[in-house]
Amino acid sequence: MVNQTKSRIIEKNRLTELLDELAQGYHLIAPVRDNDVSFRRVESGSEVTLDYINTVLSPKNAFFPQTETLFRFSRGDSQGFRTEPGTEADREQVIFGIRPCDARSLRLMDMVFNGQYKDSYYLKKREKTTLIGLACFNPDKTCFCPTFGIDPTSGEDVDILFSDIGDRYLVEASTEKGATLLDRFAKFLSELRGDEEQLRKARKAGLVGMKKLDVSAIADKIAPLYEGDYWNSIGMKCLGCGICTYLCPTCHCFDIADVNLDEGGERFRCWDSCMFPEFTLMASGENPRPNRKARVQQRFFHKLKYFHDRNAELACVGCGRCIRYCPVNIDIARIIEDVISGKAGNE
Amino acid sequence: MKATSEEVKTSVKKLFEDGSIGHFIGYEMGSDSLRVTPCFLKSGQAASRLVWNPLCANNLSKYLLDFGKVEGKVGIMVKGCDSRSVVELLKEHQIDRDKVFIVGVPCSGIVDREKLLAVLGVSPGEVVAVEDDGDAFLVTIKEGTRRVKKEQVLRGECLVCRYPTPVIYDMLIGEAVSSLPWVGDDYSSVKELEALSSEEKERYWSSELSRCIRCYACRNICPVCTCVECIFDKKAPRWLSKASDVSENLVYHLVRAFHVAGRCVDCGECERACPMHIPLRSLNKKVEKDILELFGYTAGIDVEQQPPLTTYQAGDLDEFL
Repeated sequence: MVNQTKSRIIEKNRLTELLDELAQGYHLIAPVRDNDVSFRRVESGSEVTLDYINTVLSPKNAFFPQTETLFRFSRGDSQGFRTEPGTEADREQVIFGIRPCDARSLRLMDMVFNGQYKDSYYLKKREKTTLIGLACFNPDKTCFCPTFGIDPTSGEDVDILFSDIGDRYLVEASTEKGATLLDRFAKFLSELRGDEEQLRKARKAGLVGMKKLDVSAIADKIAPLYEGDYWNSIGMKCLGCGICTYLCPTCHCFDIADVNLDEGGERFRCWDSCMFPEFTLMASGENPRPNRKARVQQRFFHKLKYFHDRNAELACVGCGRCIRYCPVNIDIARIIEDVISGKAGNE
Repeated sequence: MKATSEEVKTSVKKLFEDGSIGHFIGYEMGSDSLRVTPCFLKSGQAASRLVWNPLCANNLSKYLLDFGKVEGKVGIMVKGCDSRSVVELLKEHQIDRDKVFIVGVPCSGIVDREKLLAVLGVSPGEVVAVEDDGDAFLVTIKEGTRRVKKEQVLRGECLVCRYPTPVIYDMLIGEAVSSLPWVGDDYSSVKELEALSSEEKERYWSSELSRCIRCYACRNICPVCTCVECIFDKKAPRWLSKASDVSENLVYHLVRAFHVAGRCVDCGECERACPMHIPLRSLNKKVEKDILELFGYTAGIDVEQQPPLTTYQAGDLDEFL
């Protein structure tokens, strides 16, 4: 971890003030409790909750919104159609409270949206965002981020990391962007007292026993299982809903459609899911993934093989959302275990 | 006596052995001690995986639609509410009575996982087991056993359940439960919403449905959502935009509520599946109440009883004409 600026602390009772001021200078997105905890635009620090393991929806919405207007069009006078840009993205935003797993997922999303094709809609928001992470000392039972080489207490993929070490937060910048922001808000920060590292170490005890699977050869191991019966048993159970893909911080498939009204309309893109039958439905009526087995298989092959073939990374960060919220308890960690152990091949 | 996992295992094994069934749909333990998952058996040996406990929330009846073409009968485990959706599936000729072997288990309420964790103030990893104990659950946590009153931690639909014992079955495991002591007014929460003004209702539902992510889990898990092609999946013409906004979400949920009118049995699966905690049962419960008041009809009780919205009688209400 690059330490561009020296570590500081912020007293817990000063956090709300800091967030208040952040909200004035930036479009601040932070965890809010409303039924459950989710990332929302906030206008004051008092709206923010820090009592959560992770949010239901991942922060991908801030870069890749579920529905996003790409541009609007209308009939011109004589020159045909006029177009104008869609949703404005020209604002500096700060995401406060992102967990290290979700921060890693953005690195994976970058491979898609900043790869061969540059997706300006995503990239503009990404460039204008500062990520303030919150170290995770109390993961859920379904969390398994260490499997993917993620340290849930690390600031590797964020600009600034906050670590709750009891009566104060340890605040560390890991990028220049983060250091600049900290300088701007230096009046809320104070010098270290000396026992911070020790306190952080003590809190890490909560991470003991976190699931860590050996996925080093998973892409090779899953390849020969394509024809296996294993996926039948998973597909049979699957409801074909979009919970896993929509809650997933790394799932990025989308659809594009037009809204046409008499005088004009708009083109928008929205999340899509490989779990839906019409995802691969062709105009002829042919569907290359005609059943739940084929669709479930695609989801796991994409995460554990195809994405890896293309980007040398697995498309999962072990955040556990799909496991926590699947109504029939399809469990990706268990599937990975079955692939590693060979059980998936014997069924 | 209440049914136990052991009895379920033994009974199902026997059903395979005497040729009564060729397949079985039941529950087995899932990712942790507070999660079960549906399981599909093809032989009696595998019956040892089966469990029955107060976590068995899933209504398995919809899976019967996938077993239309298999050899032999399909056995299925149903609670009271699940049996009522089996009745609906039979009524609508979605399944063949001769192909199904219904194993009923009287149910005294299912645990709401999140309520339980909140009441106990523990994390999911700390719970070892949950057992039914009359008006309470015995919850084994690392430090010992705690008795938690059911009313505090039951799922919403269980708090108003009038059919704890299956209404249709070929075999009943455990003793029938005639009524649940905590069940009072079925519609108290509906009445609260009914009392709101139109503006307040609009505000309430707009706020709730603004969270909808259109994952369609509520529809896909619903045992009476059986259309081969749903209107919302149709691409040409597209009746509903794929854009997720309040007005589109509202159309989706209202059409769905109307489509399951007189067929919904309040198994609560839509609300359980919803990751965004939208109170979907309130919508369905309102329609259920209207149908009861207008036609004196309750869904999922009797296979021979015709649904009010698909039949005509000279005396039907026509105030709206």
